[in-house]
Amino acid sequence: MVHPSMSNPFREDLVSRSRPEACTVVIFGATGDLTHRKLIPALYNLAVDGELPPGVKIIGFARRDKSNEVFREGLKELNQEVSRNGHDEEIWQDFENTVEYHQSEFQDADGYKRLADRLDAIDVERGGKGNRLFYIASAPEYFDDILEHLKGAGLNESSEGCWSRVIVEKPFGTDLPSAQHLNKVVNQTFEEKDTYRIDHYLGKETAQNIMVLRFANAIFEPLWNSRYIKQVQITCAEHLGMEGGRGGYYDKAGALRDMVQNHLLQLLSLVAMEPPTDLSADGVRDEKVKVIRSLRQWDTPELVAENVVRAQYTAGHVHGKSVVGYREEDRVDPESMTESYVALRCMVDTWRWSGVPFYIRMGKRLPKKATEISVHFRSAPNVLFNATPGDTDEGNVLVIRIQPDEGISLRMVSKLPGTTLRLEPVKMDFHYSTSFGKGSPEAYERLLLDAMAGDATLFARRDEVEEAWKFIDHIHRGWHESDKGKEPEMADFVAGSWGPEAADDLLEKDGNTWRRL
Amino acid sequence: MTVPDNAAMLGKEVPVEKIERELRILWEADEARTNASLMNLAVYSEASGALHVNSDIIREITREHACRALLIGLDKSIEEISVRAWITAHCHLAHGRKSVCCEQIAFHLTGHSRGRFRNTIFAHLQSDLPLIFWWQGNLSSMFSESLYRRIDRLVIDSSAWIDTAKQFEKITEAIRQVNLTVQDLAWTRTYHFRLAIASLYDDPTASKSLKNVSKVKIVVNPEHKVSGIQLLAWFTEMAGWERTQDLISDKEDSGSYRFLTDKGSIVDVELSEDVNSAAIGKIEVISDGVTVCVSREKGSKHLRHQLQCGGHELDLHGPADSDSSAELVTDQLSRGGKNSLYKKILPFFLELLGK
Ligand SMILES: NC(=O)c1ccc[n+]([C@@H]2O[C@H](COP(=O)([O-])OP(=O)(O)OC[C@H]3O[C@@H](n4cnc5c(N)ncnc54)[C@H](OP(=O)(O)O)[C@@H]3O)[C@@H](O)[C@H]2O)c1
Repeated sequence: MVHPSMSNPFREDLVSRSRPEACTVVIFGATGDLTHRKLIPALYNLAVDGELPPGVKIIGFARRDKSNEVFREGLKELNQEVSRNGHDEEIWQDFENTVEYHQSEFQDADGYKRLADRLDAIDVERGGKGNRLFYIASAPEYFDDILEHLKGAGLNESSEGCWSRVIVEKPFGTDLPSAQHLNKVVNQTFEEKDTYRIDHYLGKETAQNIMVLRFANAIFEPLWNSRYIKQVQITCAEHLGMEGGRGGYYDKAGALRDMVQNHLLQLLSLVAMEPPTDLSADGVRDEKVKVIRSLRQWDTPELVAENVVRAQYTAGHVHGKSVVGYREEDRVDPESMTESYVALRCMVDTWRWSGVPFYIRMGKRLPKKATEISVHFRSAPNVLFNATPGDTDEGNVLVIRIQPDEGISLRMVSKLPGTTLRLEPVKMDFHYSTSFGKGSPEAYERLLLDAMAGDATLFARRDEVEEAWKFIDHIHRGWHESDKGKEPEMADFVAGSWGPEAADDLLEKDGNTWRRL
Repeated sequence: MTVPDNAAMLGKEVPVEKIERELRILWEADEARTNASLMNLAVYSEASGALHVNSDIIREITREHACRALLIGLDKSIEEISVRAWITAHCHLAHGRKSVCCEQIAFHLTGHSRGRFRNTIFAHLQSDLPLIFWWQGNLSSMFSESLYRRIDRLVIDSSAWIDTAKQFEKITEAIRQVNLTVQDLAWTRTYHFRLAIASLYDDPTASKSLKNVSKVKIVVNPEHKVSGIQLLAWFTEMAGWERTQDLISDKEDSGSYRFLTDKGSIVDVELSEDVNSAAIGKIEVISDGVTVCVSREKGSKHLRHQLQCGGHELDLHGPADSDSSAELVTDQLSRGGKNSLYKKILPFFLELLGK
């Protein structure tokens, strides 16, 4: 395939990122929440920033009967509400003209034939460039249908010099067999290089910054190993519970499958990976998957009980409001054994990380919303200042805040002013928002552009997804398939607190404590 | 000693030797504020009244770029050597929450002394942070190697120069000596035009038509002719065309140029000026059956991208570069980079400028 920058001399030196190419984006599930709140505003904001290649067309595929006008009106209404760059009517008018509605059932072969005809007509209107990007924004039970029908209509094939790619939304499977099945179905339709499994955490600015921080600064990498790092913590705290009917989905998934399998293991692999040989998609993903593969498996109920804590919240207070317990939530089984909180102790069995625990915790109805990674360095030899009063034995901590208030901070020990020698921790803090006034693009903007440019670095590869499920499935089995009486216990904690005591004990065994957020 | 107009708007007057101490006092007075800085941004002008205009500009720029700002106003008409200083902070609410502030030191200098001018600046930089130096107006005798050697990025606006070619000699000399990174606002004004052209030529038909271009028309506002020539230099350099001496109606300064493509065909370019045009009003590239046109109405926030090929057409709007210097500098700071493309087209641009 000839990349446009090669045939288009005006691209040279103009922008450093790989250039997205004109294409038709077909969104399956286009009347849904994801399309209205994320995908369309992301595409519109790309247009505002002049990043969307001219000639892009967007086709919304869904079941309801709608005219183009009604469909566009609905999109506009939400865009006005949520768009990052505000809503400019002139740009919207142009943008809206590129959007069409295509009514069809996911299971209706004829609908795909009509789609194929329409796509061909668009290619002609555009001057023959038949690039297609299929975005599957439907519930996972339709993935098979959609993919098989795409194949049936020949839409997975691309004409010469063009491409056909698919973006698949989470959840990518519910366990290893279902993920393998999905991967099989996807790869029967699209080649792996044309498959983009979206993990919007990887599109966040600070997640992308982890590699830059590690590999573009000479001071961190020499210390980035078990000799200097004592432990790493990854926390994803949410203050929300099961509002808006999300209990129905969540009670089937749970914290481990909903967040840890994808987002948090992805963050872990970015922190723990070896330097890639280059920044190509496979260069980076080869190193990431090695981390997941090196995770020690908790594959017996005993190991699960020792290294993983699951819990549910009971009634309590969050942000000053009283809230019900997890089992009392709307659409949650009153006898549910689904975890709303999980804490794990992970061991990455590589030379670099030997003996360093990576703790992950994720929970609903914790005191506040925060996602961050903290890297805890070993203390300096305690010989000079051991007799001095103050907090000296705590080592340096490097914190990477993913959301909200993205930034980086470093805790160091310093002398308190005064005539006596007293030591206290101080913090050097870098906030994106105060240093760079300009807001970062939304994760979906970056990811859609990358998919149009054929850059899969920030998307999960098949082996990453399957290796992650393998790790998660062992834990799940330990919880749900152990002999009666032997299954690891379900702890509880009061909503609005930082999780169950058992999670504190998990760290205490190693002589560590959770970082206070 | 003279006082600039509206000195009160520059904040608190402080003795030069006590600037750092006074800044500390300023911060201690209000703990609710966060002091943020990612760079030293110096703005230099020899025009009268520039200090308070630049103070307003800094207020705008600090919304997006936290910096320590140093404003320097030099009044060379007074021989007596003097310097006075004022400090203030520009504060903005970040995401409606935290008050983020950037400090500003304004200097008013009189008399002519390069050494004192440089020392005044270098003594008040925040250490380890880059120095971005925005030089407004012509590069006077104060622009010397010992100054630009320590600048990380020089911002200029070549469309504001009198005697443009002479000024560019100083710039090329600075680039030759210290490989200075130069950000010319005249070039920044062409940014979205260049992006739009590049994206229209992603179209395969347009891309193919580049071989058969017969005419290029560029329209600029007379105040921005330099931007027009830079845009032309970029387009022809990227297309791989060469200037030919095979001149057409070559009236002095007629705005007509002739180029040879790599296939040996001839392209005529017409660069015309129109007082009713936006800074850059239009670039239109005409070839056999294909027209690529990017245009902007005066005052409009958008560019119009048009492509007419035999079989299909495109007519879209995209963002345009700002008309305000503060916003252009803000955009420029966001883009960063070493501006290597500018350096690349510079020799060709100078050739076209000399016509
Ligand atoms: N919402 C988010 O922010 C978010 C974030 C991350 C991931 N996700 C994932 O993205 C997917 C979609 O989420 P969502 O919130 O947008 O879902 P949603 O609001 O329930 O929308 C579902 C969409 O699928 C269409 N649909 C359902 N059955 C169909 C059928 N048989 N034939 C044709 N169309 C059919 C619906 O069309 P009609 O309305 O015409 O019936 C609707 O457009 C889910 O897998 C979810 O887990 C969502």
